[in-house]
Amino acid sequence: MLNGYETIVMYLGMSLIAIFAMLGISALLGPFRPKRNKATTYECGVPLFEASIKRYDVKYYLVAVLFLVFDLETVLIYPIALDYRALAVHGWGVFLEVFIFVAVLLLGLVYALKKRAIEWD
Amino acid sequence: MGEILIALIKVVFIWVWVLLCAVVMTWVERRGAAMIQDRPGPNRAGPFGLLQPLADGIKLFTKEDIVPAKAKKILFMLGPLLFSFPAFSTFAVVPFGDKFVIDGKEILLQVSNVNIGFLYIVALGSMAVYGIILGGWASNNKYSILGGLRSTAQLVSYEVPWGLALLAIALVYGTFSLRDIALAQSGTFLGVLPNWGVFKQPLGFILFMVAAYAEANRVPFDLPEAESEIVSGYHTEYGSMRLGLYLFGEYVNIVTLSSLITTFYFGAWHLPYIDMSAFLGPISYGIASFIVFFLKVAFFLWLFVWVRWTVPRFRYDQVMTLGWRELIPLGLFNIFVTALVIQLTA
Repeated sequence: MLNGYETIVMYLGMSLIAIFAMLGISALLGPFRPKRNKATTYECGVPLFEASIKRYDVKYYLVAVLFLVFDLETVLIYPIALDYRALAVHGWGVFLEVFIFVAVLLLGLVYALKKRAIEWD
Repeated sequence: MGEILIALIKVVFIWVWVLLCAVVMTWVERRGAAMIQDRPGPNRAGPFGLLQPLADGIKLFTKEDIVPAKAKKILFMLGPLLFSFPAFSTFAVVPFGDKFVIDGKEILLQVSNVNIGFLYIVALGSMAVYGIILGGWASNNKYSILGGLRSTAQLVSYEVPWGLALLAIALVYGTFSLRDIALAQSGTFLGVLPNWGVFKQPLGFILFMVAAYAEANRVPFDLPEAESEIVSGYHTEYGSMRLGLYLFGEYVNIVTLSSLITTFYFGAWHLPYIDMSAFLGPISYGIASFIVFFLKVAFFLWLFVWVRWTVPRFRYDQVMTLGWRELIPLGLFNIFVTALVIQLTA
């Protein structure tokens, strides 16, 4: 008896096979004539005089950290959402729980915005 | 044995079908652009240029695969794989029709009806970021790195409102199974409206839609590939089929997102006011539900094209402000209101 996960694995396998087939066919059909100039970096044509990977704005890192916080908190409400209707019958307790979660998230967001975390100029 | 065979047929069929939709979508996009801009568009390969995607595919297959000397080889090769693998695989839990009944045996038109469909979609949706940031980083090119960073920041920013919109859907339907959500949308709502998610979650629908456009890197959120600023962003250094995997993955993503919008907000395979199963035979009903589902998907696919050639691109700071200052507070507000309404009607 298939319980659903086997078919997902089949689907993932299908994707993997297809991706490797595409890359493999491309490698077979495409020419291979390496030249030094072909392998240069696509920028402005003159030789590079500094590394491409440099220090970048810390804002990107900040966004990633904020994302982690917010996404994790969202995921924590998912299990409550599943049984919300059944629990709501017993009174306002579960609503209060969701409300506290949302309020904490909103408070964090306001704090982050006040600290100008998401401002790009 | 028969069960495994049926599962295998479904897997192969829907996988190929989704990819076929993505292929046709590249043609629709170019013809649609031409129509909107009042020019002929691709019209040489086959009738109406219909064979153009085939020609593009052949071209991608027969190009030389160049790895830049400065690139970090292993990561450079891994990038397109990590991007296209989740893109190709997400459709596994999306129902693409109701069911066939053959000899009293039900065959669901869905690859896998697991009860964690939601989590599967969210998990795979997040994985695409790795392909983009690794591809951009490993190319060792200033445009690629800028594009990769921009794209990553944008994708993770819009994943939060996306997750919040999904959360509201989970609150309304109380299930993570996409098939159960689709089944719950038959009949009417408040007596007159079709019982579709969009009428129960109007704000959630708008949030999901906007976030979906940002997740798919589509106009007006196509900053990762803003040609006038950073060439083509994170895939500047890619060529041949590796580039093909990136481009193709994006179109498959669009098909999947359109299917998700249809499933969550537009009643999946249900027609408004008409119950197809009442007067169609078991097999013709299966086929009809499949057709209805993909007609709805086709509309949202067309909407992607339509928006692309209508709306200009945002500036980067505007994208971030919209995401964090507007969409996330609105998403939280939406959850609050949804929870309140369910509480009051419980």
